[in-house]
Amino acid sequence: MASISTKIGRFSLENPVILASGILDETSGSILRSLKSGAGAAVTKSIGTEERKGYQTPVISEIGTGLLNAVGLSNPGIDNFVEEYRNFPEKKRTIVSIFGGKVEEFVSLARKVEGIGFDKVELNLSCPHVKGVGSEVGQDLGMVEEIISEISGKTNLQIWAKLTPNVTDLISLAKASEKADAYVLINTLRATGVEIYSRKFVLSNTVGGYSGPGVKPVALRAVYDVYKETGKDIIGVGGITTWQDAIEFFLLGAKAIQVGTAILYEDYPIFNKINSGIRDYLDKEGFSKLDDLVGVMVGDAAFKNH
Amino acid sequence: MLHSRIIELNKENKDVFTLKFDSTIAAMPGQFIMIWAPGGKEIPMSLSDTSNPPTITFRTFGETTKTIAKLKVGDRFFYRGPYGNSYPVPTGRVAYVAGGTGLASINAMLLKYRGDVYVGARTKEDLFLLRNDFKIATDDGSAGFKGTVIDLFLPHVNEYDYIFVCGPEPMVKTMLDRIDRKIKAKVYISLERLMKCGVGICDSCSINGVRVCKDGTVFSMEEVLSLSEFGVYKRNEAGKIEFFVNGKR
Repeated sequence: MASISTKIGRFSLENPVILASGILDETSGSILRSLKSGAGAAVTKSIGTEERKGYQTPVISEIGTGLLNAVGLSNPGIDNFVEEYRNFPEKKRTIVSIFGGKVEEFVSLARKVEGIGFDKVELNLSCPHVKGVGSEVGQDLGMVEEIISEISGKTNLQIWAKLTPNVTDLISLAKASEKADAYVLINTLRATGVEIYSRKFVLSNTVGGYSGPGVKPVALRAVYDVYKETGKDIIGVGGITTWQDAIEFFLLGAKAIQVGTAILYEDYPIFNKINSGIRDYLDKEGFSKLDDLVGVMVGDAAFKNH
Repeated sequence: MLHSRIIELNKENKDVFTLKFDSTIAAMPGQFIMIWAPGGKEIPMSLSDTSNPPTITFRTFGETTKTIAKLKVGDRFFYRGPYGNSYPVPTGRVAYVAGGTGLASINAMLLKYRGDVYVGARTKEDLFLLRNDFKIATDDGSAGFKGTVIDLFLPHVNEYDYIFVCGPEPMVKTMLDRIDRKIKAKVYISLERLMKCGVGICDSCSINGVRVCKDGTVFSMEEVLSLSEFGVYKRNEAGKIEFFVNGKR
């Protein structure tokens, strides 16, 4: 049977299906449930320096092609997070997502996360609907570069940079982030939704992020562009709902994938379902391991395992 | 988001209302909907009648419920759902134990199945949807037994084959702490937690990784007993842990 293990930077995963930040990953109990349900790893909901309630409801709205959300980075704040996760048993398979408005905030968050024994962070440089953080930081190339270089200089953490697709020049953004161990592509697309009988916006914040099946082509394009240009390790995310979706991302260069919105449709069984689909595909198509599939559709495969 | 029209809006007592809306939905007792006051918040609400047209029964404790209580017959009513699981179908002798607005969810069962009903409230004025044969407990003794509904109910616990419970978490916790865990009755409990999405993805209502909105709201007593966080702490809107007043750490 083909191997579906993969490697992101120095991190070896038994399987390439990761729980994306923002879905069922605020509480430690839910993260453990995803890992027990077959996720190769899990990313926490984004944690900031202070406790934040997020936006008032409605914070989600289901649409035919996916989901709109503006939860508003609700999180208990790093100190409460540290309290809850101090004795968490799955620190190696859990990546802590952090967000901030300043370089120093990112560094301080990263140090606290490392202080309780985590060894990986995902930088939320891409939340599209909160002022002063997320994609507002993530579009400032100088700041992105500094955040990553400061964290990599001051901690031993492995750094995943989750980039915003809401820019005209993704390649420059990726290059500004090249000191990261991996790119996570993409976050949600900045979007809105309308309820026609009340003539009100469907999200309390008016603007939110669009995820789910409808964004997959955008995510695939982002992965393709960035892989072709940089050859770096990429974790693909955006609309992945089936194992076939996952295969598409691998073919364009992703070494692992994340699922989020799809849990709405498939619930916890999705992890095992995608994994067994990938394994089956590799066997039937004559690949002995997942790595042989990564980036095969991207012309110059010289980047592979660079 | 679904939209409907209000057919009836009745005041049950000083701050509890029942709203009937013109929809045909496939719902079972125990299920809830997310109701929305356009321009305002969206909140979960148990269906108090799951036949068609359905009803909700709610206390006006917050902005959304206050806004909706002021609507008129014929006004639009916005919601999504139904969501969550439902109470199982009972057999034999059945008891229902409701605290506060927990009676709304239990009421949907009473419209389909018989049983003895134990209801608790702070005072006589807080009672609603009453029927003649209800066994009532009030904290101040202004109606029925003076004390909690748990005090009233527990001496009778062995008389039943099925027990359905809905009420605030501290009430349920008190019952679980005191109930004989070897009783013959099958006990099912509908839980309440802060919910944001209602569809099992935001993690706001999770207790030890179990989502009240999607895995529940109805759980067997054994399931609830396996949740170490239950009755001890809940989460605020930020996801921060907040201990119940009597929660043992």
